[in-house]
Amino acid sequence: MSALTLYQLVALILLMAGLFGISQRRSLVGMLISVELMLNGAGLSIVAASQLTPANAMMGQLGTLFVMGLAAAEATLVLAIIVVVARRFGTTKTSVVSTLKG
Amino acid sequence: MEDMAKIAFGFYTLIILSGSLLAVGAKSLVRAMVGLIATLLGVAGMYMLLNAQFLALMQILIYVGAVCVLIFFAIMLTRADSGGEEAESAPLRQNLLALTAVLSVGGILGWLVMTRPLVTTGVPVEVAIEKLGLGLLGPYGLAFELISVVLLVSMAGAVLLAWERRNGK
Repeated sequence: MSALTLYQLVALILLMAGLFGISQRRSLVGMLISVELMLNGAGLSIVAASQLTPANAMMGQLGTLFVMGLAAAEATLVLAIIVVVARRFGTTKTSVVSTLKG
Repeated sequence: MEDMAKIAFGFYTLIILSGSLLAVGAKSLVRAMVGLIATLLGVAGMYMLLNAQFLALMQILIYVGAVCVLIFFAIMLTRADSGGEEAESAPLRQNLLALTAVLSVGGILGWLVMTRPLVTTGVPVEVAIEKLGLGLLGPYGLAFELISVVLLVSMAGAVLLAWERRNGK
């Protein structure tokens, strides 16, 4: 098994952990943590694929940097949404936060 | 891979595996965040092994330094105390469904990865930091500017959303 396959399998482990977390967690913060796990798996996969193949390595590293920037932006917005939800509903449980505007 | 690299790879894989299990399974959200930090550090080690030192530093700086602090703020601001929101575990049916989804996706992707080997160079390529900087200013300048606009808009949006208006204004 080549080194690239091993790295891809580790990235797959991260994706699976994040997917399991996001479908099983019952609070918004737990889901945010799971999303970060999945984004990390994507970054690892991109870097491994670009560093270990004849592809353009610079493009892969820059792509992962952009993924990190997007993750930071996403975490900022989710934090604000969680604060608003917690203020309005008093909790961030997903089972409670299920009413739409009406 | 060399022997040392194999040992380091195994070590980081172990850190990533246990950290992600903690991040997904811990009852307390603070412990889940500690697991997330361990996972992020393991991934930073993987970047080191892949000869991408700049990315490893950025991973520690951005994820561990900024994103985890944000998540900690989210935990504290919602008063999710240690025994709090994840205390009662999810029903068995939900766990089974989540496991099914994970195993189907993981199975398909793992099968694809294992059965379609790519042409690999044995040693990771080294990219100098100057080349990364020139790339950001040259061919990928538009993406760089767009990312900065996205960050600015998301920060402004976060301030706008979480702004608490005083009564009577």
